[in-house]
Amino acid sequence: MADSALKAINITKFFHDPVDMPVLKNINLDVHKGEFVSIVGKSGCGKSTLLYVLSTMDTDYQGSLEINGVLATGKSLNDLARIRNASIGFVFQFHYLLPDFTCLKNVMIPGLRLGKYSNKEVEARAYEKLKMFGVEDQALKNANKLSGGQQQRVAIARALINDPTIIMGDEPTGNLDSKNTEIVFDLFQKLSKEFGQTIVTVTHDEDFAQRSDRIIEMADGEILMHHHKNK
Amino acid sequence: MKISVNTEIALTYLTSRKKQTVVASMGVMFGISMFIFMQSLMKGTNDYFEKMSFTNTPHIRLYSENKVADAHMLTSFLTDNSTKILTNPKQLKQTQGLSNPYGIINQILKNAQVDAVTPQVTANVIYTSGSVQLTGNVAGVNINEEDKMFDVQGNMVKGNLHDLKRVNNSILIGKGLADKLSLHVGDNITVRSGVGSPVVLRVIGIFATTVKQIDETKSYVNIIQAQNLMGKDRSYVTDIKINLKNYNNAPQVARELETISGYKAEDWVQANEQLKAAFKIRAIILNSVIGVLLLVAGFGIYNILNMTIYEKIKEIAILKAQGFSGPAVTSIFLQQAIYIGLMGGLVGIMVGFGITYMVSRIYIGAGTLKYLPMSFYIPHYIEAITFGVLTTIAAGFFPARKASKVDPVNIIRG
Ligand SMILES: Nc1ncnc2c1ncn2[C@@H]1O[C@H](COP(=O)(O)OP(=O)(O)O)[C@@H](O)[C@H]1O
Ligand SMILES: [Mg+2]
Repeated sequence: MADSALKAINITKFFHDPVDMPVLKNINLDVHKGEFVSIVGKSGCGKSTLLYVLSTMDTDYQGSLEINGVLATGKSLNDLARIRNASIGFVFQFHYLLPDFTCLKNVMIPGLRLGKYSNKEVEARAYEKLKMFGVEDQALKNANKLSGGQQQRVAIARALINDPTIIMGDEPTGNLDSKNTEIVFDLFQKLSKEFGQTIVTVTHDEDFAQRSDRIIEMADGEILMHHHKNK
Repeated sequence: MKISVNTEIALTYLTSRKKQTVVASMGVMFGISMFIFMQSLMKGTNDYFEKMSFTNTPHIRLYSENKVADAHMLTSFLTDNSTKILTNPKQLKQTQGLSNPYGIINQILKNAQVDAVTPQVTANVIYTSGSVQLTGNVAGVNINEEDKMFDVQGNMVKGNLHDLKRVNNSILIGKGLADKLSLHVGDNITVRSGVGSPVVLRVIGIFATTVKQIDETKSYVNIIQAQNLMGKDRSYVTDIKINLKNYNNAPQVARELETISGYKAEDWVQANEQLKAAFKIRAIILNSVIGVLLLVAGFGIYNILNMTIYEKIKEIAILKAQGFSGPAVTSIFLQQAIYIGLMGGLVGIMVGFGITYMVSRIYIGAGTLKYLPMSFYIPHYIEAITFGVLTTIAAGFFPARKASKVDPVNIIRG
């Protein structure tokens, strides 16, 4: 068995508003390093909620979460921020770029925050990531001057800047056309196969899901089943 | 220099909303420049009035007070209240002045705080010239010492004050007195005290202070002349005038001198109570105005930051999702406040200096006050920038803290 990248043990979460309602019920999940996992399920079944818990952004849950073999549950918010900055790249359904900054700066910011590389190196790396998604020629434009598809590609480049061991996406290709979706899928696959980065994405794209290593099917806050791809 | 990513974000937010940034820092600028201008004006005015009061009041004046006899010496000697003294409640006329004045002066000179000491004989007199009579007072002084302490030279209108020493039977009179008696330098004037016989003195100089009442009544003669006028000997001294190295110590030194001499020592603060009260009232008015100005500036910053945070709440959430911690977010927004404060503060200091300088050049020509007395006092500028930055930090603190508490999940979920 390969090393575990992401391990959820008995995770349960309630929303209290308007009434106490369980959204996640006893979720157990183990994603190993380099695995490419898709989470599917009907709208409202708790996919996003699960992803937010797995990403350490949401700390209001019962059970425990390990990231790269380290217990994340119970850590301080500042420690969790550091973990996210260094090890987790997150892509949202909407791009959420900072409109006052250039695309390049948007990609650079998490890298500058990490402070592992010099500004020059971070810039070179940011260009490299933009190139992977074919938007390097947009680098010096302000983020709000790009088309939706371009913005989403910049946002994915941003998620990769610190070479995170885990990349999470909440319908990252939801706003992309089939051509762009293809680019993103190929890249994710390459990241997991060649660089051993772990990918966990929520998707509605049947094709996309079918081509990943594992499909996790959710319903009503529970994991129905794991479909492992036949090798 | 490598600037941190927090700083970079803070600066980008400031420059991408230039107008609001400028408006907010103008609020600070206004507060700071008014702070400097008003402080400069107040200190300038206070210094001026203080200086003015020292042109005719010494830091400490030692004199013999007319007192009704009481039993306090006896009571403190007996340590009980058993013995009563019967006294005539009428005050006795004090004619003897200070006893052993030169011994007292020597003692006073031993005090390290004392800068200058001079004895004086004060006499109430009637001036006569032709058929006109006026009452007033003569100060018998050592004119060189008097000049050193009170800059009599600076008030001279006509004549040479040193002639007071050189010329026998000479007198230096105020301008008002000279006008009323239509006297000029070289004319004679008859001076009579309550006790001695009248003497004829020659006017060798005319002075003008800023106080009309002094100019109309006061004159200087040699101390020996005054003693003659009073029919007294050379040891007769009514006042000892003392200047200190630091006049702020006057009240405390005065108490010390009282105990060693046994006479009343009046410090300039007591002699100018109304002046001190005016200083205090002005300080209160000034501080309230400045407080309001800074409060308004602070609200400006509070407002703009709150607006920014409201607008950028999604971006804050995204920064946090990417691993910016609460303190990092606080730093981003607090820095914006600080830069607004510094910018407004620096410009405010320059504008404040400019206004102060310009106002100090406006000719007003009221009496001896030709220009508004403005002080250029470095600590005002340091205080101003400190207050400015403290205000902005206080104003930025709450919005910044609010920003740091943004829960990314709630915001991103929408
Ligand atoms: N802040 C909230 N308070 C209460 N209920 C919520 C809140 N956010 C989401 N929910 C509910 O939790 C359930 C799961 O939501 P979500 O994880 O977004 O579903 P999915 O991403 O699978 O569509 C839904 O029924 C939704 O209505
Ligand atoms: Mg969802």
